Amino acid sequence: MKALACSAVLAAALFPFGAQAQYSHDANGWLNKIYRATHTLSYAGTFVYQQGEHSESSRVTRQVDARGDYEKLVSLDGTPREVVRFKDEVKCYLPESQTVKIDKRSGGRSFPALLPAQISSLGENYDIATGGTTRIAQFECQEIVLTPKDALRYGYQLWADKASGMLLKARVFNEKGETVEQFTFTELSIGRGPGREKRRATIEARSKDWRVEQAAVVPANLADEGWTIRADIPGFHKIAELTRTLVKSRPVGQLVYSDGLAAVSVFIEPLAGRAEPLQPGLSSIGAVNIYTREVANHAVTVVGEAPAASVRRIAQTVEYRRPQ
Amino acid sequence: MSEKISALMDGELEAHEQRGSYAEVAREGEALEAWRVYHLVGDALRDTALLSVGFSARMEAKLAEEPTVLAPRVPQAGSRPRWRVLPMAASLAAVALVAWVAFAPQSGMQRGPEVALAPAKPPGKPAVEAPAPNVPLPSAAGDYLLAHQAYSPRGNLQGVAPYVRTVSESVRRK
Repeated sequence: MKALACSAVLAAALFPFGAQAQYSHDANGWLNKIYRATHTLSYAGTFVYQQGEHSESSRVTRQVDARGDYEKLVSLDGTPREVVRFKDEVKCYLPESQTVKIDKRSGGRSFPALLPAQISSLGENYDIATGGTTRIAQFECQEIVLTPKDALRYGYQLWADKASGMLLKARVFNEKGETVEQFTFTELSIGRGPGREKRRATIEARSKDWRVEQAAVVPANLADEGWTIRADIPGFHKIAELTRTLVKSRPVGQLVYSDGLAAVSVFIEPLAGRAEPLQPGLSSIGAVNIYTREVANHAVTVVGEAPAASVRRIAQTVEYRRPQ
Repeated sequence: MSEKISALMDGELEAHEQRGSYAEVAREGEALEAWRVYHLVGDALRDTALLSVGFSARMEAKLAEEPTVLAPRVPQAGSRPRWRVLPMAASLAAVALVAWVAFAPQSGMQRGPEVALAPAKPPGKPAVEAPAPNVPLPSAAGDYLLAHQAYSPRGNLQGVAPYVRTVSESVRRK
């Protein structure tokens, strides 16, 4: 609660009206500008997501009005999956399995509260610099590069519209400079979004009979249950600790660590009642690495937008001691 | 499985059974847990001082931070014997051997698997190499991603876009 109040105060300090001109010439100012654009603009556009050999196009729309902000992502390739976010609730519509997955953030903390306090501290773990200007999807863009100070996190190369601050392209790179994943808008219009009737997921009407998997989330203290996780990776701090349901209502503990930009979740769930055997090891999708191991008859799954070594290192520190 | 590990530690398994059991332990599953617990029990019975909490994680981190010692080297006429170029691998092997001797069953020790426990890295490869994916994505990857995504600060710069991974073709196929 204290941290929440602190971040609110810091947010107010970081984002006074009219601060834009003052900050716009340095890299931190650009990050603030991107942040503000992400949270205030209405827009509609198409972007391409690339990771490894794989690439896919999605349509994304965002509309802000008095009721709140509403975002929708529709996949344009393959079956039309949709992700809809309204305030803190995210719904995934998956036509193939005829499932709607609903996830809601706990604690009523609104999404935007996370970063502002941390933008200024990003400099502890990243060298932040502005680069050149490039034209992307007809927008004149400023390049901003966040180079990690160690091998524990990835680097980020961002391109933002010079006029609005809207992020047009984001590239995540590893310690060799190789691209791990990339988001690129190919077309974008900024301004008032689609009308209210179009706001509802087009798939919503068809999904009335689908299976609904709604995650229940409550704050938790996993240390009381005997778990110790010393995520002693420099710059990473615990930002959330909760118990939730996941996959057919299994109770799962979740801890989230973040350095202000990258985040790593630790999931702990009992092995009992598991339908399939645990496969310990490392897997990945784009910038997200997933490391699974077994600890004291529990599956520990660490999921994070961080290099494999960091994700594994956090997984290795998970220990269980029967509470006294 | 636990019975097998117990028998293994007591030196009651045949050589071929031993190999299978060690492979099982190396897979980090239930067998490794049993291996740890039985050693802990043994230590407690013998009143051996316990290692501090997180010893193995710290040891692993320290090893990971060791500088590259296995540097490739142009072969030269009359060069020194090969073992002198590999002090790190040698010392690792020594540590493993000592560990094996220290933790080995007290009776009936036969051909030990010490060689298998200390695989020397081929010279020329950097000692600190990023681990490569070795298993397919978990079947619940989409659920983990969905649960994780809500707390990722990336959304502050990209809005809903990173959720594309959650519903990605490559996750969905699993």
